[in-house]
Amino acid sequence: MIRHLFKLIWNKKKAHTLLIIEIWASFLVLFGLSSLIVFNVSNYNQPLGFTYENVWAIDLRNNQDTVAVTAKMQTIMQRIRSYAEVESASRMSSNYPFSASTMNNNATHDKATAMAYLFVADGDFAKTLQMPLTAGRWYTPADSIGKFRPVVINQLAKDELFGNEDPLGKVITSGDGQYKVMGVVETFKSKGEFQGDKPTIFEQLNENAPWDKTVLIRVKPGTDAVFEAKLVKDITSMAPEWGAEVTYLTDSRQNQHNLALVPVTIFLIICGFLLINVALGLFGILNVSIARRRGEIGLRRALGATESSISWHFVGEMWVLATFAVVLGLILAGQFPLMNVFDLDTGVYLKAILISVVVVYAIVTLCAVYPSRQAATVQPAVALHEE
Amino acid sequence: MINLQNIEKVYRTSTIETLALNNINLHIRTGEFVSIMGPSGCGKSTLLNLMGLLDAPSAGRVEIGGETVTQYRDKELARLRNQKIGFIFQSFHLINDLSVLDNVEIPLLYRKGDASGPSRRQLAREALEKVGLSNRMNHFPNQLSGGQKQRVAIARAIVGQPSIILADEPTGNLDSAMGNEIMSILQQLNADGATIVMVTHDETMAKKTHRLVRLFDGAMVGDSVLMSNA
Repeated sequence: MIRHLFKLIWNKKKAHTLLIIEIWASFLVLFGLSSLIVFNVSNYNQPLGFTYENVWAIDLRNNQDTVAVTAKMQTIMQRIRSYAEVESASRMSSNYPFSASTMNNNATHDKATAMAYLFVADGDFAKTLQMPLTAGRWYTPADSIGKFRPVVINQLAKDELFGNEDPLGKVITSGDGQYKVMGVVETFKSKGEFQGDKPTIFEQLNENAPWDKTVLIRVKPGTDAVFEAKLVKDITSMAPEWGAEVTYLTDSRQNQHNLALVPVTIFLIICGFLLINVALGLFGILNVSIARRRGEIGLRRALGATESSISWHFVGEMWVLATFAVVLGLILAGQFPLMNVFDLDTGVYLKAILISVVVVYAIVTLCAVYPSRQAATVQPAVALHEE
Repeated sequence: MINLQNIEKVYRTSTIETLALNNINLHIRTGEFVSIMGPSGCGKSTLLNLMGLLDAPSAGRVEIGGETVTQYRDKELARLRNQKIGFIFQSFHLINDLSVLDNVEIPLLYRKGDASGPSRRQLAREALEKVGLSNRMNHFPNQLSGGQKQRVAIARAIVGQPSIILADEPTGNLDSAMGNEIMSILQQLNADGATIVMVTHDETMAKKTHRLVRLFDGAMVGDSVLMSNA
């Protein structure tokens, strides 16, 4: 019967060309959407690498005040650490987690190179963000006196720069500097759960430098806006010309999520409309086709087809049409993993292909079920007489 | 082979009731070649549909090959239609998108657990050879003449080796030469053992059968054995 259906559709291929193109286009759109969703979901399932709840980022701006910036900064840090509400505080570069700011640079070790995200942070960074280390340790102020500035890298940076080699104590080059690896963390997805992990380097902050004036603080659970107001007031009283802006990492995270999810949602809505259109088209075409083929239905019943085999016949025809379209679609979709388009994992494309195939067949089946059942109710005696 | 007892067929709509067949009692024996005649609308095709299990009687009992089918469900009726009955129609009912060979193969597709693809095709080829169309099996119906189309329809009717062939005006769309050709094939099939029931308007064709049943206004008004053919 399968061969019979293929032959029937193949012999009517000209009449079905537009329908096949429609299903093919739907498959490709679904493939694009599925790739995006699979990519985001697989990112989401990767550990973030740190905790952000009860963590605030205080962005300090010295504005026109250029006098004793470093000293004022150190005083502010001491004051912040002294609050009972603050569990831990860390000074870092402006690209705090979930912020819009990004720093990256090429890092090399021997012949290996990786484009790595760069974070400049003091020794309390890991404690403040509760980042677990998988090897080595986080740098301390004592490490700053060595020949090379200390850094911690994430697992991905380790894999790209060192492969299976132990990175601890090894030196990497980034920009004009040379850095000694003190420890390794697993992941650090600074742009949120929907971002894939990137090679990352945490460089020890120079506390005497006047820049890098963002402070991350981990506050005790339940700490509220009253403390926030007090904190800002105290900071501005210590450095009257400075500005202080507090951002909750939970809010910044939400912004990053929106950036990732809004395009997916828009794509999903467009795709949804397209699929509804295609589904209605298929439904209509099948209805018309069944109305036109009542004689054939009557004949098949006369020759021994049961009601259910008539039903399956029409569902089968739609599956065959979908198969022609999907095979054409697979030729194109298959190029994405083969040619490594968009630098995504092959697994993402393969899962997306699988999802698209399942959805296309599901839609085609849904559209075919009702008209096919109608076809099964055609009275053979009446249908044959009509011809 | 076919036994109809007290058959009644009423078509009902919300406003009207039409009595298509009234108290039909007809017994057709194995190997008979029966023609059914009557004016248009007298119930000939309805009677053939009931014999072919394409329709159910409003009252009465239908037996096919010794099986009482009145209470049969769709699956059992489909099995009987597929295995015991072959249909030939006035308008051929060939599927234009399939080749002659594929058209002939259709009844075998609905035969459960039976022949494989190659053996189905072999049976279809043999059926086409019987009707003299082995040289046209890869043609499509629209490339054939009316007589050739009807011969394909006959091949399709006999491919499953049914014991009964029901023909609804098989020569109705053909000229007399073609009609005679088709009639000869039917006579040969009957000589080979098939029971044939044929609805016709053509007295000449009817006279070539064993028995003539006449209908008028849904009632059987005549049943005569044609001694010269019997």
